[in-house]
Amino acid sequence: MLETKNLNVFYGAINALNDVSITVQPGEIVAIIGSNGAGKSTLLRTISGLIRPRSGSVSYNGKELTTLQPHEIVKLGLSHAPEGRRIFTNMTVEENLQLGAYLRKDKAGVAADMEMVLGRFPRLKERFKQNSGTMSGGEQQMLAIGRALMSRPEILLLDEPSLGLAPFLITEIFNIVKDLNADGKTVLIVEQNANRALEIAHRAYVLETGELVLQGSGQELLHDPKVKEAYLGG
Amino acid sequence: MQFNFGKWFGTRAISVIVAVLFCLLLDKVMQGPDKSYYRFLMSLAGIYVTLAVSLNLINGITGQFSIGHAAFYQIGAYTGAVLAANKFSHLAATKPLLWLFLAALFGAIAAGLAGLIVGLPSLRLKGDYLAVVTLGIGEIVTIIAKNQKSLGEAYGLSTAKIESVFLISLLAIVCIAVCRNLLKSAHGLAFLAVREDEVASAAMGVNLTRVKVTAFVLGSAFAGAAGALYAHTKAFVSPPDFSMDVSFLILTMVVLGGTGSITGTTIAAVVLFLIPEKMRDLPYVQMGTPLGVAIGIIVAVVLLRKIQESFHGSASERLGRNLGSVGIGIVVAFVMAKVLVMVPAFQSMINGALFRMPVLAVTLVVLMLLRPQGIFGHHEFSWSWVQKLLGKKSPETEVAA
Ligand SMILES: Nc1ncnc2c1ncn2[C@@H]1O[C@H](COP(=O)(O)OP(=O)(O)OP(=O)(O)O)[C@@H](O)[C@H]1O
Ligand SMILES: [Mg+2]
Repeated sequence: MLETKNLNVFYGAINALNDVSITVQPGEIVAIIGSNGAGKSTLLRTISGLIRPRSGSVSYNGKELTTLQPHEIVKLGLSHAPEGRRIFTNMTVEENLQLGAYLRKDKAGVAADMEMVLGRFPRLKERFKQNSGTMSGGEQQMLAIGRALMSRPEILLLDEPSLGLAPFLITEIFNIVKDLNADGKTVLIVEQNANRALEIAHRAYVLETGELVLQGSGQELLHDPKVKEAYLGG
Repeated sequence: MQFNFGKWFGTRAISVIVAVLFCLLLDKVMQGPDKSYYRFLMSLAGIYVTLAVSLNLINGITGQFSIGHAAFYQIGAYTGAVLAANKFSHLAATKPLLWLFLAALFGAIAAGLAGLIVGLPSLRLKGDYLAVVTLGIGEIVTIIAKNQKSLGEAYGLSTAKIESVFLISLLAIVCIAVCRNLLKSAHGLAFLAVREDEVASAAMGVNLTRVKVTAFVLGSAFAGAAGALYAHTKAFVSPPDFSMDVSFLILTMVVLGGTGSITGTTIAAVVLFLIPEKMRDLPYVQMGTPLGVAIGIIVAVVLLRKIQESFHGSASERLGRNLGSVGIGIVVAFVMAKVLVMVPAFQSMINGALFRMPVLAVTLVVLMLLRPQGIFGHHEFSWSWVQKLLGKKSPETEVAA
């Protein structure tokens, strides 16, 4: 189980997270929704060790993460697909996927997972030796997710995977997330596209200027009048 | 793809044998008292290739910014010189080649350790602390050398003269090979990844500090080995040989060759070392000549810029126009030089060697204007690239297309 307790994160004087406590149970899809600047990405970055909280804790299966380096956290089975995709645009699709498996020593397992990712994303197979910077936004997003899968994580942290994609691609991405979850991956997903995220999430939290204001099952929040007004366009 | 150990080992063994034979041949060709000047040039060129390629590992491939590479070069040089003058003077006299090899090793260890001490604290931090720290280290090492009696103070230190084109070219080749193989390995991808995006690399599980420090220590160690070989090539070391100018020259080689490209850096190292070296020998010239040449260069650059901005023809058409404008530049330079020499005010004679640095600067400015990404950009020399140049399609591109 992944758990944050009373997380406080600051950028200089800006209080980006204020006493944030969430839990993610194995097998769940948990969504974090909230408007721009609410602190959603900050929460994911803190969990994966890219920034340090001022106080509070993050634990995974009882192990404290806030004192670990990002690469040690990847080793424990958490994989973060950061905001804005951040694929290595000067490298090929293949090299990006290899870097996703950077910490793994089991060559056979990596090869099998490479096949699995290419099977799930046939577009990546077509563009395997292509420079990834020349791919479309949707293809790049698939690569970002595929790359995050290459470390064979237990938990996938996805930061706005639907950002900037056409509606039919958004549907495809959310279907993929659902499939991955059905295959046993736990998912913590951050989205501004609240509607879609709540539809697939088991549970969700609403973040407003660094504070949790609401939580509940995906269906509950989808029908909550406040959520409807603020995030689902009335 | 099945991994074939026999084949892998075979290719490795063959390339090692070829490299050693090549270095031996080079050494043989450069033997003889009449070739001492060329031997010296060749040695220094090899040393500069090592320095530039090793800095390229830090600045180009890993994307850090070290601007005091000469400090590690100096540490290696003084290590070799001091040891050969004291503890190892007997070995240096009786078995010079063996000592030279050991000197390079000791130089590499000393400079590598210094790199670790400097790099570990400064590379842990985000931001360009390394630039500031390496700038300081260059000064500190020079100040220590200038004030230590045992290091010869400002005058410098003599040591045994041991020339070996063989070891120097072998060091350069080993340095190139290590960088190249690093890039081909799974770990090498991590170096490039750190250059491209630190956050994404960390999210992939790359230990940023470890990758950066490894590159820095390895780069510093190669500079140290080059330093030890330099000390014995010249049989003398003194602080000015490792000044800030030298650091900047090495840095320029990396930037000019194409940050990250080993091929480009190697070529730039040889060219940039030879330009000022060759111009040392220039006789006295009339002042009108260089002025005329400068005007010719400016004309050529302006024409080339205009062509690049406005003309998008096929490669061969562009090549024709570029050559044409260079030709015009040469003609203008020639005419202007002739005309200016006739003007009485420009008839005075001055030492041609004075123009070393200005000409180097103008060359750099021209190249940076025409190709800001460096001569080679991120590209490397490879056989498929040669085939492409010759108009054939390489098998790899066909698969991708
Ligand atoms: N590196 C930084 N330095 C300073 N302030 C930052 C930094 N990163 C984020 N912030 C601030 O922290 C707050 C939370 O940012 P965060 O990126 O977590 O928001 P978000 O919910 O992910 O927003 P979005 O939906 O736009 O991605 C914002 O006010 C932002 O301006
Ligand atoms: Mg965000």
